[in-house]
Amino acid sequence: MKLKTGSFLWCLYLDKLYCLLSVRNVRALVEYFGLLDPHHLSTMNDMMFYHFLHHVTNCNRKQITSVFNMLDWEAAGAISFDQFYMLVCILLAHENHLEEQFIFRHSRPVFELLDLDGALRIGAESFEKYDFLFNIKKHNLREFYQDFDITGDCLLNYKEFKLFTIFTMDKYQEKQKAENKKEEQKALLEKEYATQS
Amino acid sequence: MEEKPLKARTKSLSPNDSVKSSSKSDIRNLWTKATLSQPKLNVLTNVCDDSDQEDSSSRSKSGQWYRRKTCPERAWEKRDDRKKGSITQGELDGHALEQEQSPSSFQKNHVEGVQDSGELDSSVSSVNVLKHTHHRAYWAEQQDRLPLPLMELMVNEALEILTKARRSYRSAFGKDHFLTHQLQGQIEDLEKQRNGRQQVPEP
Repeated sequence: MKLKTGSFLWCLYLDKLYCLLSVRNVRALVEYFGLLDPHHLSTMNDMMFYHFLHHVTNCNRKQITSVFNMLDWEAAGAISFDQFYMLVCILLAHENHLEEQFIFRHSRPVFELLDLDGALRIGAESFEKYDFLFNIKKHNLREFYQDFDITGDCLLNYKEFKLFTIFTMDKYQEKQKAENKKEEQKALLEKEYATQS
Repeated sequence: MEEKPLKARTKSLSPNDSVKSSSKSDIRNLWTKATLSQPKLNVLTNVCDDSDQEDSSSRSKSGQWYRRKTCPERAWEKRDDRKKGSITQGELDGHALEQEQSPSSFQKNHVEGVQDSGELDSSVSSVNVLKHTHHRAYWAEQQDRLPLPLMELMVNEALEILTKARRSYRSAFGKDHFLTHQLQGQIEDLEKQRNGRQQVPEP
């Protein structure tokens, strides 16, 4: 899933540490939400939501419907600004490759979104269904189940999910460190080569 | 799930410098440069960020998200604490860009200040005060608005989305349904807004 280049959402950006929008960005988003509310109900119905997401991303109809069902946690047939804000943060986190950080910082809201049936447990199915949003890889999940599935039922309760987010965050940070080290070594080599020549 | 899970704790942030290439960031530069050119105006952002750190889960309506930042309670308290009486030039300069005040109350307050400053010695200083006042009022008002390029982008994009949605509304509800009429009304309003901005007034 990708955001359309040059769209309004593409101009917004998340705080890298907390993975949330600034007040100024939220203000702009409120205005934008208002423009897409022709009925002045401070909500966005499913039809408007479909056209919005279809316009700003490359998601297909099935994905858009699943996202709407995930966000419409009150089953009202429309989403309010709270849910819209959440969606925008998720989209921006995905666009900027901050999914691990986002899930780590907001593990409770993400858990509640993925827990569609309210069973306080989420399984591999939920992760697969929303893989295009949260980018939770199967092999990560398999590794995690081997080490951390305390209850042994292949379903994660919130505590296990929180552990999972810490686990993926650690992995992400290790990967970042390794990449940075590689880049430094490359830069050093280039410098040496330049000085020798 | 009945809870509203997301707590939108906002912080003033540093520009995103990792992903986007500079060639694609024109609008974003306009957005950030609009504030960078007036360093004192950053006070407003920080004040508003501080005053706006609330739990978003307590809000159920989108209207509650948008609060006019120009009149937080602190500003009124500060104004009450100020000495009534002669207001010197230094004091006016010291309170440069009190962005917490709304433009109307800001101007009113400074008009009162000017009236009280009958003790100012020269007409030049009073002219400077007025110039400064208008200048500050202008920037105070600018702080209240979103940048025009961003507004234009938002309106254009919203128009495209609403136009596509209109087709769905017509096929789902019919041309004469009140929801279709409301949508059509919104489209017309946005088109007027856009056309009004594009028209250049004759000199």
